[in-house]
Amino acid sequence: MTNKKRSHQAEVLIEGMAEKLNRQIVGSLVACVHCGNCTRSCHYVLTNPDDPTFAPAYKADRIRKIFKRHFDWTGRVFPWWVGAKSIFTVEELEELKDIVFGKCTNCRRCSINCPMGVDYATFNRMMRGLLVSVGIMPEGVAVVSKDQWEIGNQMGVLPEDYIDTIEWMSEEMQSELDDPTAVIPIDKMDADIVYTINPREVKYDPRTISDAGKIFHLAGENWTMPSEGWDMTNFGLFSGDDALGGAVAGRVYEKAKELRAKKIVISECGHGYRSTRCEGPNWAGMDVEIPMESSVITMLRYVREGRIKVDKTRNTKSYTFHDSCNNARSCGLFEEPRELLNLVVTDFREMYPNRSENYCCTGGGGAMSMSEYTPLRLKSAKIKADQLRETGAEVVVTSCHNCVDGLTDLIKHYKLGMEVTQLVNMESEVNKGSGFNVSIPRRSIALSSNDFK
Amino acid sequence: MSEALHFAEHRLQETALLIMAGVYAVRLIWLMRFKAGKERQAPTGLPGTTKGKGIIYSWANIFMPWSMESARKHVLMWFQFGIFHMGVTAAIALSVIIPYAPEVLEITLITTIFQVVIVAAFIVGIMRIIRRISIPVLRAISSPDDYFSLILLTVWFFFAAFSVPNRWQEGETFLLTYFWLTAFFLVYVPFSKISHYLYYPFTRYYLGKTMGFRGVFPLRGTRRG
Ligand code: SF4
Ligand code: SF4
Repeated sequence: MTNKKRSHQAEVLIEGMAEKLNRQIVGSLVACVHCGNCTRSCHYVLTNPDDPTFAPAYKADRIRKIFKRHFDWTGRVFPWWVGAKSIFTVEELEELKDIVFGKCTNCRRCSINCPMGVDYATFNRMMRGLLVSVGIMPEGVAVVSKDQWEIGNQMGVLPEDYIDTIEWMSEEMQSELDDPTAVIPIDKMDADIVYTINPREVKYDPRTISDAGKIFHLAGENWTMPSEGWDMTNFGLFSGDDALGGAVAGRVYEKAKELRAKKIVISECGHGYRSTRCEGPNWAGMDVEIPMESSVITMLRYVREGRIKVDKTRNTKSYTFHDSCNNARSCGLFEEPRELLNLVVTDFREMYPNRSENYCCTGGGGAMSMSEYTPLRLKSAKIKADQLRETGAEVVVTSCHNCVDGLTDLIKHYKLGMEVTQLVNMESEVNKGSGFNVSIPRRSIALSSNDFK
Repeated sequence: MSEALHFAEHRLQETALLIMAGVYAVRLIWLMRFKAGKERQAPTGLPGTTKGKGIIYSWANIFMPWSMESARKHVLMWFQFGIFHMGVTAAIALSVIIPYAPEVLEITLITTIFQVVIVAAFIVGIMRIIRRISIPVLRAISSPDDYFSLILLTVWFFFAAFSVPNRWQEGETFLLTYFWLTAFFLVYVPFSKISHYLYYPFTRYYLGKTMGFRGVFPLRGTRRG
């Protein structure tokens, strides 16, 4: 028995673990056979092949050791034999922080490559949440979480700035379409669609708001944007803080309900889509009756129904598509963006591997906000850079704001000279007042997607 | 047959099995006492993907090496895995066949099949021991239990292979050692990583349920075009 004194934070973390453990997580914690099959599925391993501490099972074991020591009787009785080990000092907690935040983007690629079905990403997120609960987290995580708790969005966009930006984009839209009725409605009651966005769009990329607005307008949609509860991103997904996750998602649901909206449409954002569409109801403990969908699905429907017309000959560059991990590996959204992209470009080049097997943009899991790990992130990005380079495409399209930032950063770092864009920007481009009618290929698979129901 | 061998084949095995079943039951009750997670959201993904299909796909995953990149890219490892587990199945079956249906082992074809499978598993066991010791990542993630369990199984295969003909008249050493090792193995399993096969259906069930509900399973991985 060790005589090391346990810090108060370590005590609280272990107590918190007891509350967070559920059957799925415990299953993943006890089932690993240390076969190492998951090792080469991780982009950190592929770019640091000589360092075994990047292996998913090694990282997972840092958490598993604590679990075994305190919750699994084999580890309580024979700790040394089964590799169980408790945690004591703040330094040890800091080391754990560097693993769960700095060496894993929660991309879930190892989870789909484990023959035992161990879902490491899920309990890595659990450990992030436990560390956050005792105040141990990267500074960026603390800052962004604070903003989302206090101001209501993760980039600290003030309400007046948000409204100003929407009004400004509304004016831009009017002049561009030369149509006084082309406005962005705010808090319109009984709209068919309430459109929620990423605060990054307000702060750095307002064009995506007007691009989406143009599409809704041209499709003749009865839509609105909410004055509050508009941020569909959710730092709770990255920080592992379920309370934050539930509060943020709850704001979106409550506002949509207050406006009596018939559907919540989530702009192109992988973690936002996953948080609002797939995880939020669980964190918030709410049964959300209003249907939700990604704007990719909305746009695809417009094209299929002939509500907007597209002319793919306007996009003559070569394009590839990057799947966001959250969309593809946690929400099954990967065919619809491809279908839409193929409708608006003439030269589409698939990236390998793709869909659910795609590699993370390496900026996932909140990595873009953790500057202390930037050198490691950029090193691990080599795997993505190689993937992009091999396509020979000029433009990479993605349905995720976070991936836009991650990809932009690595493209600059590895001097790939590629552009990064999102489907909403492309679709708006090919739509610009064009009177072209193109034939629309229909694919039965995506037509009956669960989100179309 | 000596008293000692008779005891090892019958009473010892029955006792070990009872202990294993008891500890397994406790283990399962322990696992079930943790709350089950709940998915409140509407399902996502393509229509071929439902909870049920996800679960079935998840359970069948291991038999479809093409469906998992880690198996697809390392097919030899996957075959080794298959041989090793077939060896375990054969060696366990042997512990039931010898005491309760020894006549089965009088059929030459059957003894040959058993011996080939178990010897192949023994060779894979040796390869796995070498691999675990020589690959830095595997060393870094291995606990004493990982080494011990692997060595235990490999040694057990060795004695099982020689016990297949069940010729106790020509000497009982191999048979006695095999049955004592089997008993030890049965008692040790619930305390070790070998119990993974108890957890396997559960972890894969939950992963399949989640991934099926979310439209990720059946996996639509890399596609050309
Ligand atoms: S997580 Fe899965 S693949 Fe990785 S070492 Fe453990 S059992 Fe093997
Ligand atoms: S979740 Fe992704 S980043 Fe994390 S260990 Fe697994 S493969 Fe690596």
